[in-house]
Amino acid sequence: MTLLQVENLSVTYTPRDLPANRAVHDVTFDIDEGEFVGLLGESGCGKSTLGNAVLRLLSPPARISGGRVVFDGVDVTTASEDELRALRWTDLSTVFQSSMNSLNPVIRVQAQFADTFAAHRIPGDVTARATELLELVSLDRHVLRAYPHELSGGMKQRVALALALALRPKLVVLDEPTTGLDVVVQRSILTRLAELRRELGFAVLFISHDLGTVLEMADRVMVMYGGEIVENRTAAGMLHEPRHPYTRGLLGSYADPRLPDVQVTYIPGRPPDLSRPHRGCLFTPRCPHAEDACREVHPELLPERGGLVRCLVAQEDRLPVVRLGAADAAATIGSHFPATGALTDPGGTPDVVAEAVLSVDQVSKRYTTRRGLRTSTTDAVRDVSFTLHPGRVTALVGQSGSGKSTIARLVTGVERPSSGEVRFEGGSGPTVRVDRLRGRALVDYRRHVQMVFQDPFSALNPTRTVAYALSRPLVNFAGLRGTAIRERSAQLLESVGLAPAGQFLDKLPHQLSGGQRQRVVTARALAPDPQVLIADEPISMLDVSIRAEILELLGELVRNRRLAMLYITHDLLSARLLADEVLVLNQGVLVERGPTRDVIGAARDDYTRLLLDSIPNPFAPAKRSGDASVVRSAQPGG
Amino acid sequence: MAYFARRFLFFIGTLWAAVTLNFLIPRLQPGDPAEAIVSRLAGQSESIDPAQLQAIRIMLGTPDGNLFEQYLQYLGAVVQGDFGVSYTYFPYSVTHMIGQALPWTVILVGVTQIISFIVGTLLGTWAAYRRNSRVDSVITLGSTFLGTLPFFWLALLLIYVFAITLRWFPERGGYGGGSSPGWSWIFISDAFQHSVLPAVALLITGPIGWIIGMRNNMVQSLGEDHARLAVARGLPRRRIALTYGARIAILPNVTGFAIALGSVLGGTVLVETVFNYPGMGRLLLESVSSRDYPLMQAIFLFTTVGVLVANFLADLLYGFLDPRVRKAETA
Amino acid sequence: MSTPAPAVPAPGADTEGLQVAATEQARHSRLPGWFVILWRNGKCRIGLLMLGAFVLVALLAPLIAPYDPRGDDFPTSLAPTGGHWLGTTAQGEDVFSQLIVGARTSLIVGLAAGLLSTLIGLVIGLTAGYLQGWVDEVLSFLINLGLVVPALPLMVTLAAYAPVRGLWLIIAVISVTGWAYGARIKRSQIITLRTRDYITAARFAGDGTARIIAREIVPNMTSLIVVGFMGAALGAIGGEAGLAFLGLGDPQTVSWGTMLNQASLGGALLTGQWAWLIAPGLALSLLITSFTLINFGIDALSNPHLRED
Repeated sequence: MTLLQVENLSVTYTPRDLPANRAVHDVTFDIDEGEFVGLLGESGCGKSTLGNAVLRLLSPPARISGGRVVFDGVDVTTASEDELRALRWTDLSTVFQSSMNSLNPVIRVQAQFADTFAAHRIPGDVTARATELLELVSLDRHVLRAYPHELSGGMKQRVALALALALRPKLVVLDEPTTGLDVVVQRSILTRLAELRRELGFAVLFISHDLGTVLEMADRVMVMYGGEIVENRTAAGMLHEPRHPYTRGLLGSYADPRLPDVQVTYIPGRPPDLSRPHRGCLFTPRCPHAEDACREVHPELLPERGGLVRCLVAQEDRLPVVRLGAADAAATIGSHFPATGALTDPGGTPDVVAEAVLSVDQVSKRYTTRRGLRTSTTDAVRDVSFTLHPGRVTALVGQSGSGKSTIARLVTGVERPSSGEVRFEGGSGPTVRVDRLRGRALVDYRRHVQMVFQDPFSALNPTRTVAYALSRPLVNFAGLRGTAIRERSAQLLESVGLAPAGQFLDKLPHQLSGGQRQRVVTARALAPDPQVLIADEPISMLDVSIRAEILELLGELVRNRRLAMLYITHDLLSARLLADEVLVLNQGVLVERGPTRDVIGAARDDYTRLLLDSIPNPFAPAKRSGDASVVRSAQPGG
Repeated sequence: MAYFARRFLFFIGTLWAAVTLNFLIPRLQPGDPAEAIVSRLAGQSESIDPAQLQAIRIMLGTPDGNLFEQYLQYLGAVVQGDFGVSYTYFPYSVTHMIGQALPWTVILVGVTQIISFIVGTLLGTWAAYRRNSRVDSVITLGSTFLGTLPFFWLALLLIYVFAITLRWFPERGGYGGGSSPGWSWIFISDAFQHSVLPAVALLITGPIGWIIGMRNNMVQSLGEDHARLAVARGLPRRRIALTYGARIAILPNVTGFAIALGSVLGGTVLVETVFNYPGMGRLLLESVSSRDYPLMQAIFLFTTVGVLVANFLADLLYGFLDPRVRKAETA
Repeated sequence: MSTPAPAVPAPGADTEGLQVAATEQARHSRLPGWFVILWRNGKCRIGLLMLGAFVLVALLAPLIAPYDPRGDDFPTSLAPTGGHWLGTTAQGEDVFSQLIVGARTSLIVGLAAGLLSTLIGLVIGLTAGYLQGWVDEVLSFLINLGLVVPALPLMVTLAAYAPVRGLWLIIAVISVTGWAYGARIKRSQIITLRTRDYITAARFAGDGTARIIAREIVPNMTSLIVVGFMGAALGAIGGEAGLAFLGLGDPQTVSWGTMLNQASLGGALLTGQWAWLIAPGLALSLLITSFTLINFGIDALSNPHLRED
């Protein structure tokens, strides 16, 4: 039985001072009762807009500019407020992306349940019902008495999920329901979601950028690009025989870090500007298979090999055929992007390890917080030791709150350890005690130790040009003046792959894509010619399809410039690809360390294994036949 | 509890600062402040009688003592509520004069402030509820337009039209010559007659700040995710507007309203002056123009303390109304 | 004063975004980027035109005013005539000439006191927000104190003690009483901005604190500073008018406030000289309107929630 029908739906944003932007264009799809459909796409592809349009929650300047949405026989696009209210939540509910703000901050959790029951005239004891619902998402009943700000992000998202299931809806729209949460928390929420769906039988539209999760959870997956659905087929089909080059590219950016050979690829270029008219296929500029016709003819979404695909080359069956087994999927897809060069893991070939440039020796950091008259202490880092060597990447892996960022601050001299030493031995002079630096000496030290930040959108001043950003370290550390600054800046940009540099120097950050920004941030870090580079989650905010591109750049820089890099991440796949050595941090303590392949391939510590098990794995062979979570935990660590 | 402790400390701190400021202002001028005041009074070609000099001395303390001794003396007097003697209304004490003016102000300004807040909040809520409709533009543009009118000028126009031209209401004062203050029907109806125009002047401009603040806050909170989710949950429009919009939007206005109520004690200098209304504002201006420094100082202190107390009470109330605050300040 | 709280972007409003638009704009045009952005907004444009007219009148006041505003050799309390468009005062001065010259006073006070209190607010707000710790505690206390101490009674008290009542005293009194609101907003904005990675990055690039504040933070707060200045100027103009109306202004200066004071004392209400009464108030009101319109425009641009769609 078809539950939701979306027919030729288009959504246009018409901001006041800017050109109109067709965020969703001519989208058609169905969802059957009880079906779990994934909607996969990268930032700006229109997936959230589509989700909001289905719920009719668009607010100006966005509006539905064509087509219709029929839910259970009711045309949502034209229904009156009253008709819609009858439908909402009883049949159609949702969980928003940002768990931080989706609960009313000034009323208790119980009141939000009560509101929902009252609005739909559900009689009975609110507390009993709400307690039952909270139990569904593994929350204690005392949560009912809490205000939203008293709950953690994961708890809030569980409450939101319980709320979404309160009236036993037929369809739940989940918009990035676990994004921003810790990997382990994500895993447990998703596991619970899968179980609940089996028990209660609701249909799901699962919107996400996280390919691993979507492929693992969904029955059927739709891939969105530039406001259009470019492919729509079963998850199994998509996994084994992706037909759109973009889908293939996305799949190529994913791999299981535990496999003996790990290889990922990326899709060069950036998504189309939807405020401009386009001829032909939107993916053409980034497509390795594009033909002349692709530039002229806009492809339709047509049935092809058991699914739907919007690609002329695939429809005319000229796409190189790949039959993908689970294990070698990434490697095989990767070969379709020869121009870009695939990134393979370094394979742990420790030649001669050079002398350490930076040593962290039995470092602890204790924070003391005062609450009124009481003081409490937190040990953010306990007795951590490691060394960094030229030409080698050391990955520091752990969940949020594990103390990773504290270590970064200790190493860069932003904070001082409570005990232990941080020594920098790479300078021309005597050993520098980083834990004792202040003032001018600290500034001098940073000539040698630089940072690449997590969020490329926050790491560049929005009002300053690329040239300005690059000029500061050149003036302060290299002592350059006049035209030399610009020449050197241009060289730096070219060394991070932004060529010709002249095109980029005078741009403002918002004119660059996320990947380009992260390259500029890297170039700025390289400007003082440092010996140590601290990269704090440098790819976590980037689109999946370009992450490998930045990893590749960092890897090249480390090896060509003999940099010592501390790579901080929660993502074991990227650690596997980039690092020579892995340190696993749990609650401030190093629980496991060793060559990357050993640690990830054959983890000994329970916590490391928990992290590994939290990675969604669509390639798990038994996945399609049963409970994903059971399979995950049964998977041996190598 | 840390939140409340912090607010209490702030209250004590500001109270001390206000009292000290009041002590310092007259002493900022060079030389002996008492002499300076005396010579200024002499310059106005008034005869200074010894009683006035005495009043000044009481206010400023012994000039021979050092500043710190004067300060202690002053603090002692303030704690006892002894603000000295007014010398324009000699031998009445300052406290007596304030007692005379206070009821007028509290009734006129207090009542209009409360009405303004209620009307403003309701109109602001209505405008936000019907955002971008005709109602919204009428309310928003209307209040913006009224807000640009200087309100003492508005008061003058009211007198010109309703008192002088139409003769509907008395022109000035708190009560007419025919009645004397007391609990008589004649007096009360007379006082009411006299208070209509000043009240109208206050009510025209009073709600504007609340309207704009309420509307903007509410539009903002209705745009947030929790309100959008409430729409998705099929909650009635009215319920969303009240619990997910107005309930949150009104929070920042609570403090503002408390301060407004606290400042009632100081009266409104402009309106009371225009209408020659016998409240605290006019008393302050009178004390300024007749250089009755003890009276002036006391009124300023009184007004400030009123606001500080109100602000403190608002902080306490806010702690109960907004669960986030208690937590945030302890962290 | 009774003027409503000026429309100020809520803390966390998109001041960076607006600044980017302005920077972008400045590259395509010879006019300052700011001006182009404001000019494009309808309400703002009207406000700018009105303000421009006032500035022009103030600058050319000696040329426009037909008589010496203090010259009192005309018949007293005239109704509007051909020679005296708005009549004469009870002392026999020309009301129209006073109105023209009064624009000067209002604008000077608005500009000077607006700048001064913005500057005080900027320095205190920036220092408190950037340094944090006990400096912030002390300055925040000062800011909060400045916010709760009732402004007009403080102004009146300060003005009463002043030995000489010149225009600059009025400006000083208004600035001293009016900086706190701006300081609070700027403090909270800098607390948001200073956590941005680009600030850390600037420190890693070897830049010092002063440079970081001046080159990285302040440019991203321009819209806030401009709005704050407009609000402070607005308050100052109202404050001067109020003080002058109460008779506490500079007796040597002709301003709209003193005109209203004299109209009220000189019996304009009784003699029916409506022009003498209406003109200064209307002028004041139009000037305030121009500021409000400009602020609305800035607010609409920088606060996405209030944008009219």
